[in-house]
Amino acid sequence: MKGWRRSPPVRRAAALLSLLAVWEAASRAGLLDPFYAPPPSAVAGVLFDLAAGGDLWPHLAATAAAAFAGLLVGLVLGIALGFAAALAPLVADLLEPVMILLNAIPRVILAPLFVIWLGIGLASKLALATILVAVLIFFAVYNGFREVDRRLVERVRTLGGGRRVLIREVYVPSVTSWVLGSFRVAVGFAFTGAVVGEFVASSRGLGYLLQFAQSTYNAALTIALIVLIMAVVLLLFACAERLERRLLRWR
Amino acid sequence: MLRISGLAVGYGGEPVLDGIDLEVAAGEFATLGGPSGSGKTSILRVVAGLLEPLRGTVELDVGSRDVGFLFQDDALLPWRTARQNVALGLRIRDVAQARADEQADGWLQMMGLAGYGDRYPGQLSGGQRKRVAIAQVLALRPRLLLMDEPFAALDAIVRTRITQELLEWVERERLTVLLVTHDLEEAISASDVVHVLGHGPRAAIRASHRVGIPRPRRVLEARGHPAFGPLLRRLWEDLAAERMPEPAPS
Repeated sequence: MKGWRRSPPVRRAAALLSLLAVWEAASRAGLLDPFYAPPPSAVAGVLFDLAAGGDLWPHLAATAAAAFAGLLVGLVLGIALGFAAALAPLVADLLEPVMILLNAIPRVILAPLFVIWLGIGLASKLALATILVAVLIFFAVYNGFREVDRRLVERVRTLGGGRRVLIREVYVPSVTSWVLGSFRVAVGFAFTGAVVGEFVASSRGLGYLLQFAQSTYNAALTIALIVLIMAVVLLLFACAERLERRLLRWR
Repeated sequence: MLRISGLAVGYGGEPVLDGIDLEVAAGEFATLGGPSGSGKTSILRVVAGLLEPLRGTVELDVGSRDVGFLFQDDALLPWRTARQNVALGLRIRDVAQARADEQADGWLQMMGLAGYGDRYPGQLSGGQRKRVAIAQVLALRPRLLLMDEPFAALDAIVRTRITQELLEWVERERLTVLLVTHDLEEAISASDVVHVLGHGPRAAIRASHRVGIPRPRRVLEARGHPAFGPLLRRLWEDLAAERMPEPAPS
């Protein structure tokens, strides 16, 4: 009978709802200044108006397009460069220092440079999302290759497997599990790249709206957009997790 | 079947083993015993072509495809099912998929794993994984079987059972075997000849003993054979003497 009260999702939802209720009550009692901390109901109202008025969709579409394209290009680029570096020492010597440097810095600082090079359109957002994802995936592939289980390599060799069989049976699956391990982070990075790119300079997108909301001191709109971006990323995380479970069902 | 002469193995140019001469006749079950860290495994790795020796030669009467290697651990490809793992070697030898799967199922059945073909290694117990690993190697019908402490990680009951099953297969196929183990009782109960390796560095084969117990054997009965106890004592003495410092030349 009381089983549901112990279930973590129910308890988490209850905790979140109580927090929102306290916030709402504090606002209504006049304890919070609505200019800085508008009540949840006001934020929900703004979100509803945005969605119902149709203003939201072109912005959401612009951000999603930049994020997805960046994710895809970043994955392809990261995988290709990672494999190239793992298979050819010369490529590794060339790429590794650059990648280590790019990995060490907050890569979003490249955003202004991409705007100068590529303009304020989609291209600069795509480039930022791509580089955020590509560096992450490069290391997943490169490390996945180097950290491959030596025992499995020897096993396949004693069964008569050559280089081609080793890559297919040992290296690719091993690298795949590493890449999938970074996949959720990559989805988050792709959105970061798109939104930050829009934030820096753009004429559309959620980052652009956010920038607009901030410059007009509209806290309700700012919070509404933050909540919206969170919801989108959580949704994508859930999709990524399903994909991960499907591809890694041997675990 | 297998002749090793003047073999030196080491890492970074420093030999762990030196001057290893070893001959395994066709159909013989030879065991290489010795303390841990004496480099026993390295000898098998050289024979299997996984390690380049510093010096010396290895001659085989069969091709490398006729050599099977049963490793100490039971590492199978975790992303492949038991059936796919067993079929892997067959697929490498260009056996068609359907036929390879069929043969793999046959081997799994023989290993007492009928119906486990679709399980992933992570869903099997240690003993079951070991059986899959054995099936994976035997499915290729090797003529020479190299085994590196294959049962070390198993509990006593499973270990005795699997050893017995493997011995039966060795008898049936007249397999030549080179087993590496630090377990002297296992060495005696399974093999025709036990070679004792000394301590490193530059360890060499210290003594070789024939096992006077007729084949085919049953693991548990071999331990009760009158020749078992005295030989075990001699092997212990060999190893104990090995721990003493070398006498100074007079």
